[in-house]
Amino acid sequence: MEKRFMKGCEAIAEAAVRGGCRFFAGYPITPQNEIPEYLSKRLPEVGGAFVQGESEVASINMVYGAAATGTRALTSSSGPGISLKAEGISYLASSQLPAVIVNISRGGPGLGSIQPAQSDYLQATKALGHGGFRAMVFAPATLQEAVDLTYDAWEYAERDKGPVLILMDGCLGAIMEEVELPEMKEISYANTEDWCLARVNGREESHMITPILPELGLEMLNRFKGMTYKMWEMTDVKVEEYMLEDAEYVVVAYGIAARVAKEAINTLREQGHKIGMIRPITLYPFPKASLDNLDYDKVKGIIDIEMTIPAQMRDDIELQVKGRCPVHEYGRSGGILLDDEGVLEAIENIVKGEA
Amino acid sequence: MKQSFVFSGSGGQGIMSAGITLAHTAIDMGKHSTFLPEYGPEQRGGSAKCTVIISDCDIVSPLPKKCDTLIAMNEQAYNKFIDDVKEGGTVVVNSSRVTDIERQDVKTISVPVDDVALELGNEKVANTVIIGALIGATGIVSKDAVIASLEDKFKAKSPKIMELNIAALEKGIALGKGAAE
Repeated sequence: MEKRFMKGCEAIAEAAVRGGCRFFAGYPITPQNEIPEYLSKRLPEVGGAFVQGESEVASINMVYGAAATGTRALTSSSGPGISLKAEGISYLASSQLPAVIVNISRGGPGLGSIQPAQSDYLQATKALGHGGFRAMVFAPATLQEAVDLTYDAWEYAERDKGPVLILMDGCLGAIMEEVELPEMKEISYANTEDWCLARVNGREESHMITPILPELGLEMLNRFKGMTYKMWEMTDVKVEEYMLEDAEYVVVAYGIAARVAKEAINTLREQGHKIGMIRPITLYPFPKASLDNLDYDKVKGIIDIEMTIPAQMRDDIELQVKGRCPVHEYGRSGGILLDDEGVLEAIENIVKGEA
Repeated sequence: MKQSFVFSGSGGQGIMSAGITLAHTAIDMGKHSTFLPEYGPEQRGGSAKCTVIISDCDIVSPLPKKCDTLIAMNEQAYNKFIDDVKEGGTVVVNSSRVTDIERQDVKTISVPVDDVALELGNEKVANTVIIGALIGATGIVSKDAVIASLEDKFKAKSPKIMELNIAALEKGIALGKGAAE
């Protein structure tokens, strides 16, 4: 294992290369520019291809094309650019092509701000494009987690033949931390026969890739996708449960917000407050069971902390809490960052108000 | 032990570079560290700020509201961030540009880093002088470890650059030590 002190965007880019990524197309937008910058140098070193597309739309469609050849393909952007890629992402889903998309999110809506924010939860988990498909959404909180999740992202994308999203805010995109980099993966095209256009493993005919299907075929595809999403809930949920055993208040937070919240929880625990945290690592599939199975005889309140206003995860939380205790929320937005003091005070106020 | 440092100034003063050098050095010394830059859309002249955390343990949150030490390279940065320093904290100021010292409840280390850099022959090493002043006053990392980190950074450049930076670092350490006493 190789240790390096790296910037978030660069750590993701290096992990992608080591995870087998050999094609990238993207269009510049802050705060994710270090991903294409890094890959423009790195991909040619490993025989891969880097394209700075003429637009986000062109870039996602190049990823569609590269995925059809069995190549592990990546694109990255930030909120406004992900919106532009939505059509292409939906086409990847309908054509059952694996690809990885990274969103280093910033303040929104609209052009928003170039500063960090967690403003794209709803876009990521509910409607990454039209037509009602879902993508698995990974939300790392540390750069090590970002490296590990990116490294394996294509395994999920190829298993389920569809897009996988990595959602990380601009703060984690810009931060530098020490990471352990995994070994370079051996890439095999042997398992690409299910979706790859070319003749793989002695297959006599080219595989037809089409984004348009007859009614029955499309319904069958949708039924199959529905089953896949159910399977994800059973086998692929990733979550960190922190100090829940005796918790009277449970914070729900992901990514950077979860790190700030954990610092506050550690301080409050020292003062004797019984607070725990559920940190979704997969935002989709959402860790429903962690919330549903809480002991609501003990839990007096849930606190949703996000670096966005209003909180976007709240609906998913309330669906599991089912009115068994109050749900509170705290956030900052527009590019104003959460900070230790603010989050600590917010949790304290909620705990005092209820006690 | 967890300590937070805010480096501040304007784009072009080597703020980010100084922050990365400190964080990198801390990691080389076996500590944990995070470096978080914050800047506006400007390339030069705009406000530049970065937060470095150094700790013996894993760093949970990289977003403290208040810092233990502020490094202010100009007056605008000093005025903007001086209230974010914890009571009893340390402020290292570039006294070539910051003259009005407001807070008396923090330890102020004044070093004319621009003048020192010019005397050494290159204003660009002002940020190395202030790293020197910081470690001279606080001892947060060792001089040798900073030199190793700078050597890594300047390995592709001419040896003269490294010599100049070592001179800047040593001068900064001496002045920082002196100001702290």
